[in-house]
Amino acid sequence: MGQILSGYYIYMFSLLLVFIALATILHLQFGVTGIANFGLSIFWGFGMYAFALLVLKLNIPFVLAVILATVLTGIIALVLGRFILNLDSQSVLVATLAFLVIIEVLITQEKWLTNGVMGIGPIPFPFDFGVYTKFVYFLIILLFTVALMLYAGKLHSAPYGRLLLSIQDNEPLAQSLGKPTFRQKIIFFTFTCALAGFFGAMAAPVYNFLFPKYLGAEVTFTLWIALILGSRKRLFGGLVGVLVTVGLFDVLLETVVPIPEQNAVILYNAKYFLYGLTLVLVLMFRPSGILGDKKRSINIRNTSKLEKKEG
Amino acid sequence: MPFLDFLKSTLVIGLLESAPLMLAAVGFTLIFCLNGFINIAYAENLTIGAYLAVTFNAMLGWNYYLSIIPASLLAGVVSVLTYLLVFRPAMKRGVGKTEMIILSVGLSFVLRFGINLIYGSELFNFNISKTYYLSFFGMGITSTQLICLGLALIIALGFYLFMYKTNYGQIMRALSDNENLAMVSGINPIKVSILVWFLAGVAGGLAGIFTGVFTWVHSSIGWNVILVILLVAIIGRVGSVRGALIAGASIGIITTAVTLVTQPAYGEIALLIIFIIFLKFRKAEV
Amino acid sequence: MKLQEKKLHLKNIMKSFGGRKVVDIKELAIGIDGIEGLIGPNGAGKTTLINLITHKLRMDHGQVFYYSNGKEIDISKKSFDEIARLGMVRTNQVIQDFQSLTIKDSLLLSLATPRYERFYSIFSEKKLRKSAEQEIEKYLDYFHFENPDGHALSAGEKKLLDIIRCLLLKPKVLLMDEPTSGLPQNQTDLVIALMRKKTREEGMSILIVEHNLDLIWGVSENVYFMAEGEILIEGPPDEVRKNKTVVKKYMGEGDA
Repeated sequence: MGQILSGYYIYMFSLLLVFIALATILHLQFGVTGIANFGLSIFWGFGMYAFALLVLKLNIPFVLAVILATVLTGIIALVLGRFILNLDSQSVLVATLAFLVIIEVLITQEKWLTNGVMGIGPIPFPFDFGVYTKFVYFLIILLFTVALMLYAGKLHSAPYGRLLLSIQDNEPLAQSLGKPTFRQKIIFFTFTCALAGFFGAMAAPVYNFLFPKYLGAEVTFTLWIALILGSRKRLFGGLVGVLVTVGLFDVLLETVVPIPEQNAVILYNAKYFLYGLTLVLVLMFRPSGILGDKKRSINIRNTSKLEKKEG
Repeated sequence: MPFLDFLKSTLVIGLLESAPLMLAAVGFTLIFCLNGFINIAYAENLTIGAYLAVTFNAMLGWNYYLSIIPASLLAGVVSVLTYLLVFRPAMKRGVGKTEMIILSVGLSFVLRFGINLIYGSELFNFNISKTYYLSFFGMGITSTQLICLGLALIIALGFYLFMYKTNYGQIMRALSDNENLAMVSGINPIKVSILVWFLAGVAGGLAGIFTGVFTWVHSSIGWNVILVILLVAIIGRVGSVRGALIAGASIGIITTAVTLVTQPAYGEIALLIIFIIFLKFRKAEV
Repeated sequence: MKLQEKKLHLKNIMKSFGGRKVVDIKELAIGIDGIEGLIGPNGAGKTTLINLITHKLRMDHGQVFYYSNGKEIDISKKSFDEIARLGMVRTNQVIQDFQSLTIKDSLLLSLATPRYERFYSIFSEKKLRKSAEQEIEKYLDYFHFENPDGHALSAGEKKLLDIIRCLLLKPKVLLMDEPTSGLPQNQTDLVIALMRKKTREEGMSILIVEHNLDLIWGVSENVYFMAEGEILIEGPPDEVRKNKTVVKKYMGEGDA
């Protein structure tokens, strides 16, 4: 039992949860608010690395390090958001893409920051329950992921969610109703990117050793294809998308179907080839994704006079 | 080094080194001009051009300069195919501008990793028979590289002349993504689109081929510079071919100057800042 | 009309497009406690003027002063949404809608004040609905919406929704850009009756841009005539409709 709990499966499922959380964050940013953030992996990676450096180099205790990493990520998001969030959708996409590519270049060149291919680590877990350590940690990640999804779900029917949807739908019209759209976009962008940093920090002990490729274009791209495929407007779009992409390729294929060493590279290339192909086909033929578009409906649980009148 | 020499070197080297970039920027701008969206998969035009040249040169044994011709023409054909098979149907289905960019990123991945699947992940090099090593304004360079840069510059100027001095070029420039206008003026919009995408593909392919002389040919050579191409196009006020040429040259010169003086890493950060600044300027003017 | 009684003062407003002056107003005061009309031929610059006042469009130069609670506020540089928050709201000539929101969504959006719209307030929907239900119900009843839980489908419904959204904000100044164009007559009557009520009971100032002259004469206390970017005539409806310039430049085009 201990074997399974501390083994490969726990590792995979923990990361799967993190990716689901990230895809849901992207859903909030793009599917709900209309912010096409192509640099989400940067915030996640930054949270991860900031946390690692705080714990390893400055010996800061786990919980405090997580909090600090989250806040620092938020600050970066705030600065970036301040500059780009009053631009149109295409410009935001392009600007965040630029952010991604340039940070990627910086990371590969400035080896002193990330210790290059040797990685930073090992990053310890915050507690020790013997063989059950990783399993308990997995449960904690599960807790936070579920909390995030609950928040996102509630947001859909909350006034704030309505505001965000209106910003995506017709920002000038929302402004004409007095909504401070720029300010709200910055606030929400900062908050959600900070959450990404939080999950990055939480993912650090699972990875144990951190490598620069975690910040890369591939992570961002995987998240995007997962969300578009799963349905960007639906709460569970991220979850479905991640299960179908990462779950299929990285978990199922690797564990159930053992791939011989020499085919690993082919699989890698084929994976991203298929991802790209799926993205193109989905956007062309089923842009709303697997789960389809969301239908706005009034919450039936509300028992005010408003609902009674409908009968 | 004394200032005048510095200036001379910077200008000449900067101009030459930016020639492939100028070509790529021109091709990129052509597509944006015509269809109004940012095509990230354009990066693969460069990559495909380089790989095609490698195919003719290193694999089939053709002379390098000879390989350039079929390689660039085929790159143009590939570009037209992406338009007819992917982008045009997508636009007809009403895919929004932002989604088109995402779609083009997807296509970029398809092409890039498709190349990896076909050619494998090894690095390629051009097989150039005779090449001399020169010192050009204080920079070590091979004769081939020099010729390539020179060719790129000439072709870039050729594009400029075509777009601004010929009738057909002027018509193309006048047409935005406005098929009705095209039809009213008696021009077949599809034909013009195909020509534009073909030229853009050739320009990109050439840019890739010329760049491949300076470095290894691998599947990311296009992806690595798509940002700079985009930046050049934005600075050149996306939509103006002339602007793209000027911006390309300026970027090349500035980059050379910066590299001569500091580290490349700071150049990257500066690039990001410039990028964002120009995005905002572009919006302010609209 | 005494200057001090009006809510908006415009000074030296100018806007040119490509060398052509579209709006050129030296001094103008609008905004009585009541309904005013703004008329003029097509291309006179009426919509542009409204866009300039609400700062949807940037003026080349000029100043706009807004009087509220005895205070003078310079709104020339304030942002589009800030001006709406200060109590100056406009409806749209070209139909604007939230395609992904239902009719009730739109109304609830209007009514949601900042304290409901915080990223951590995810449990406030019930409270909002409760505080909003009376008002929303009044409007839904008054205009007989077919399916308030659905989306606004016809152009008429969307126009009405636009108006109601603005009214729910309880603005002090409401600028309406051709609010009744495209509406069936019974709806138009409902809108006009509502406008009268609002100005009487809540002290709202309403400025209506219209081509339907009968409507203007019937409902306005004060009328402005605009042509070629300038306000040429101002006065009570009876005077304006008899004015020679107005008759010459406009009444030929005016429709019933």
